[in-house]
Amino acid sequence: MNKSQPYNLELTFPGDIDYIPAVRKFVAETLQAANFSPKFAYRSEIVVDEICYNAITYGCQSLDAEITIQFTIHEDRMELVVKDPGRGEDDDRERLKHAVEGKQVQFPTREQGKKEKLGLEIVKMLSEELDFEIDKNNLTSVRVVRRREGGEKAPAK
Amino acid sequence: MSELKVEVAGAAEYPNTTLVRLKGPLSGAEQAELDRVFENIIQGHPPFVVAEMSETTIFTSSALGNFMNYRKKLVERNGDLVFAGLSLDIRSLLNLLGANRIFRMYNDTQTAINAYRWEKEHLRQATHLSFPSDLKFVPAVRQFVSRITKQKNYGSRDSFRIETIVDEVCNNAVEHGNNTAGRNVELTMNIDRERVELQVTNATNPEKVDMLREMSKSVLNSPQPSLEQKRGRGLALIKMLSNDLRIGFSEEGTSVHVTRLRGE
Amino acid sequence: MESQIELENEQLKGVDNAMLVRFVGDLDATNVEFVLEKVCSFLNEGFVHIVADFKKLRYVNSTGLGVLLHFNKSAREKNGSFKIANVNENVYEIIEIIGATSLLEIYDELDEAVESLKRA
Repeated sequence: MNKSQPYNLELTFPGDIDYIPAVRKFVAETLQAANFSPKFAYRSEIVVDEICYNAITYGCQSLDAEITIQFTIHEDRMELVVKDPGRGEDDDRERLKHAVEGKQVQFPTREQGKKEKLGLEIVKMLSEELDFEIDKNNLTSVRVVRRREGGEKAPAK
Repeated sequence: MSELKVEVAGAAEYPNTTLVRLKGPLSGAEQAELDRVFENIIQGHPPFVVAEMSETTIFTSSALGNFMNYRKKLVERNGDLVFAGLSLDIRSLLNLLGANRIFRMYNDTQTAINAYRWEKEHLRQATHLSFPSDLKFVPAVRQFVSRITKQKNYGSRDSFRIETIVDEVCNNAVEHGNNTAGRNVELTMNIDRERVELQVTNATNPEKVDMLREMSKSVLNSPQPSLEQKRGRGLALIKMLSNDLRIGFSEEGTSVHVTRLRGE
Repeated sequence: MESQIELENEQLKGVDNAMLVRFVGDLDATNVEFVLEKVCSFLNEGFVHIVADFKKLRYVNSTGLGVLLHFNKSAREKNGSFKIANVNENVYEIIEIIGATSLLEIYDELDEAVESLKRA
């Protein structure tokens, strides 16, 4: 791969959890096609799964809501941006801030926030960078970077 | 006074469905209130009802009896009553009571309503994928499409054929496309219960436009496309596996539109 | 919708009220309902000891882990147990990240899980 030219992929799909298995496996298989290891691909698969699950469960209010994944494969890393329409800016900011910054792992209970936190805890452990923003179109986006070297090592506990 | 809180979402938010959010306990003590709410829904709301229960704290067998009664009345009106968002503890309890044989249970309201729309309203869903014009990505793309068709309950034979179509169309897009243009291959998939429609567009190599136009004309116009010829074999295969195939060529790009009806 | 997981089960010989359940495929949000229904039915039929063979379980996410923890809790409430064997490296890592290795009974080999039931 030419260092100056990363591969850019984009995927838009309905806010429907039925699509998640196909989406996460697509990302994993694409990474393997770009010579990332099966381990790196597997960890990326779970990262995509957890972010998309949260985006669909908590970020799609309208029935026709769509999720967009912008996916860039560099020689040494992959970068993923997952966008959902959100439920209203303040709520989204609070929801994501809480989830991304929260330290305490909680096991799933009835409370939705705790479930989301558990999923994002996995994402945090498996990623070098994780942040979020609400863009000018009011889309909520979560951005993740996974580096080849870091991703191949066991995650720090 | 009961701790149960009930909210009924208007049909404007979710057309043709009624969403009832039930927060708090569901036991015999709440029967009067539930009767009133459901009587009102049965009389004046769309009869497909999703009970959103992520904040339901208790669900007793007597409450289940009431829900069976409401469901019966909704089914008589060609509707249904399904549950969404229940905790694992309550779902296990309901399974023990045999409720899973009567009520469909979903992870969230979105999934519940989409399942209904898919089944009853022929919901059509669109997916768009943009990928680099490079053969190494094609296997992941074709499997992505066939996984969606399988997830949407298309049979393995249909899914396999759709996978083959995607493979051939995308291989052609990469092989005959203009890879130096830096443009991605764009794939759009529309799926409903009865058909899959695929549209693949790519940048065309200007030098190949005439050759491609001729080749596609001969394959599309032939009543029995030949798989013997090396050139155009992929296109012939696509034609044989699909119900409709249209191709547009221009200097800007090539666009292939394929429709396959569900066979199984 | 089609489940990407299959559960194969057989009654364990030599141990009372015990069921072996082989998980084949991916455990995620799209099939939690199916898995919950099936395993709960074993527990409710009196098979309070469940031995889950994960040899062919390729994948699990946080939703799937939530269900496994739920089975563990439900089995214990019935004075039974939920034991897991043959966990592949990738799945184990996810269980570890969540910090659930101390909550779940995990064995390297299926025989060890079954033996632990016989000793109990």
